[in-house]
Amino acid sequence: MAEGEALGLIAVGAGLAVGLTGLGAGIAEGNVGAAAVGAITEDASLFGKAMIFMVLPETIVIFGLVISILAIFVM
Amino acid sequence: MSLPESMSRIVIVGTKSHMDEAIEALYSVGAVHLIDHTVDADEGFTLGTSRPYAAKASERLLKVRAMEKDLGITKKTPTAPISESEIKSKISSNSVELVEDEVIAVIDKKNDLNQRITELNATKKSLEQLSKLDIDLDMYSGYRSIFSMVGTATSDPTPLLADIPCEVVCSGISKKEGGVVAVFAKNEDKDKVQSVLSECDFSEISVPDETGKPSAALAKTEHDLVATEAELAKVEEELNKLLDKHKDFLKASEEELSIEAQKGEIPVRIAASDYSFVIDGWVPTKKAEAVKIDIEAKVEGTYVEIQETRTRSMKEVEEAEDRFKEVPTKFNNGRIVKEFQYPTKLMSVPKYQEIDPSILIAIFLPLFFGMMIGDVGYSIPFIILGAYGLKVTHHKDWRAIATVLFFGGIWAFIFGLFFYGECLGMHFIGENTAVEYTWEALLGLHNLPDLFQGILPSIVLDNGEIEYGGVHKLGADWIGFQLKLSVYIGICHLLLAYCCGVYNKTLQHGFSHAFKEKGGWVLSFIGMVLICYSLAMILINGQAFDTVMIPLAIGAVLLVAGVILNIPEDGMQAVLELPGIVGGILSYTRIAAIGMSKAGMALAFNYICIGMIYGGLGEGPIALVIAFALFAFLHLMIWTLGILSAGLHSLRLQFVELMVKFYEGGGVEYEPLKIKRVKTTSNKDKA
Repeated sequence: MAEGEALGLIAVGAGLAVGLTGLGAGIAEGNVGAAAVGAITEDASLFGKAMIFMVLPETIVIFGLVISILAIFVM
Repeated sequence: MSLPESMSRIVIVGTKSHMDEAIEALYSVGAVHLIDHTVDADEGFTLGTSRPYAAKASERLLKVRAMEKDLGITKKTPTAPISESEIKSKISSNSVELVEDEVIAVIDKKNDLNQRITELNATKKSLEQLSKLDIDLDMYSGYRSIFSMVGTATSDPTPLLADIPCEVVCSGISKKEGGVVAVFAKNEDKDKVQSVLSECDFSEISVPDETGKPSAALAKTEHDLVATEAELAKVEEELNKLLDKHKDFLKASEEELSIEAQKGEIPVRIAASDYSFVIDGWVPTKKAEAVKIDIEAKVEGTYVEIQETRTRSMKEVEEAEDRFKEVPTKFNNGRIVKEFQYPTKLMSVPKYQEIDPSILIAIFLPLFFGMMIGDVGYSIPFIILGAYGLKVTHHKDWRAIATVLFFGGIWAFIFGLFFYGECLGMHFIGENTAVEYTWEALLGLHNLPDLFQGILPSIVLDNGEIEYGGVHKLGADWIGFQLKLSVYIGICHLLLAYCCGVYNKTLQHGFSHAFKEKGGWVLSFIGMVLICYSLAMILINGQAFDTVMIPLAIGAVLLVAGVILNIPEDGMQAVLELPGIVGGILSYTRIAAIGMSKAGMALAFNYICIGMIYGGLGEGPIALVIAFALFAFLHLMIWTLGILSAGLHSLRLQFVELMVKFYEGGGVEYEPLKIKRVKTTSNKDKA
């Protein structure tokens, strides 16, 4: 039973890691995205730069993913 | 590797008396990208002046465009093309001016009538108000010692005007709609009356210059209005006739005149002295000789020299004069890859000295798209829609989407058939489980395993059984495999990107420079991959430390070597960017993740339709119809979402992971002087 509980907690932890980082990345990307769209409307040649800024916050969620993979496979 | 086409710089020298012929020749060759002359670049030369015909052409162009606007001719108005010689002779015989006279006469008439209608409407409005009072219109004016004011008010001013000797006439004033008030008072009381009236929200009506009862005047005005409107309709009809009569001419002359104006302005961009001119331009190397022969043959007394054939070395750029530094980029792609230039251009036009990433996008974008979709059922509509789009549309945005759908659809079909063994979220072979269905069990096609068993991947389960039927996107035994696969794809993709970076720098500065600038990143990348691999082996697979000693050690050495190489160029970034490498690789797990999310949705929807509705309502024909309709609708939803998520994410992997590693962009696209005739037909085509 205790083992089952531990497994459950690991699953919850992994879920939280991805979920919360996803939330954070989402908020950040929302802000960047709004500004990026504004900038691109003014000058379409900024697309490349805007795209890069746009995906910067994604790193956070990737770290979340790493943690959750570690949680599931290592713990 | 696909580099932009090699370019040569040519110089055309000739006498000023042959300038027009030279300009004609430049356009007919259609391969010269003009280099703008800069003032003081060559001693004795200045910028030329525009040709004498250019001013006239621009003036006529303005007239034609104004007429088009007046007549309501837009870009989309269908017109028949006119031959070049016909339109030229028409323009030179002052047809533009003649048509203008005709159009302006009608337009003036129309404007006058419109103004008259506005006036009549205003009069009508005043009279409508005045007719409520029923005072003869000539009674409002013509007095010596008294004045009259008439207008609308929201409250009755009579009590407020009690102290002032005056005559007030009101018509049913209500707070909501207001009413009409007329006040007659002595001239000396004018100020007082005005201030009282202003308290009642009074706004004056100007009394029209009519006599008699307002109702009679109103009837007359209404009659006039109808007559004027009828006249306007006639004028509109006349305009429509003019539109039909002249639209072909106007469209064709607009095109011809803009070509003329453009040609006439060419001398402003080139160098000229008192008696001669010099034109610098870029020409694709393989056409340079032909261009030289062609121009020399066409224009008397002109000499063309091929000055240089530019290599990709940046040293040549540094040594060149400012205006010759930038070489235009001519994309050098085949028919299919050409369709993928759109995403490249969206980012930026490649420089002359670097790889055009369109070919990499053409390979990987549809591949990733297909892997994420990986379903025969969804792929067929993608292919059909994409092929239809490519056939029908010429708009570049739609073409880009259709291209991805078509080629991505083909990959999705291949992956769906040979890798996942899946159609509409259901596998071809296998047994039905509690929530999952297969085509074999659903339709009772027990010969399907014979067809697919050999080609689809299989896995040995923990209990020793072999599971056939391809990769199960949601199968617990397959998830690890899919994640690993996407990570390995990511590693290959990124390694390719780093190699492209080295290749670009080798072209531009030679290998040793390239190794110093980009080689460090290749080493760090490989080192990081080896270290992560070893760590994953120890941490996740639980292998002993000494089994992965060698890759770990090699990885560490490569990583340190890479960082040391990078430090002089990038400083602290060389260390700070290292976690980014892991992030970049893991970013590719989205390929597996999006496939899984689609499979998850499809699984749930299939269970709802087949298990709950068809199975739950009893297997009658009604249940079958409902289940089928819902099935179609829900899968259409997944399919639509597939375009968005799979399309955007595979594009993002190209932009952010691949191109950022090596692509600089910021080039100028090759735009040769060329005439594109749509509304006129060239004399050459005829001949």
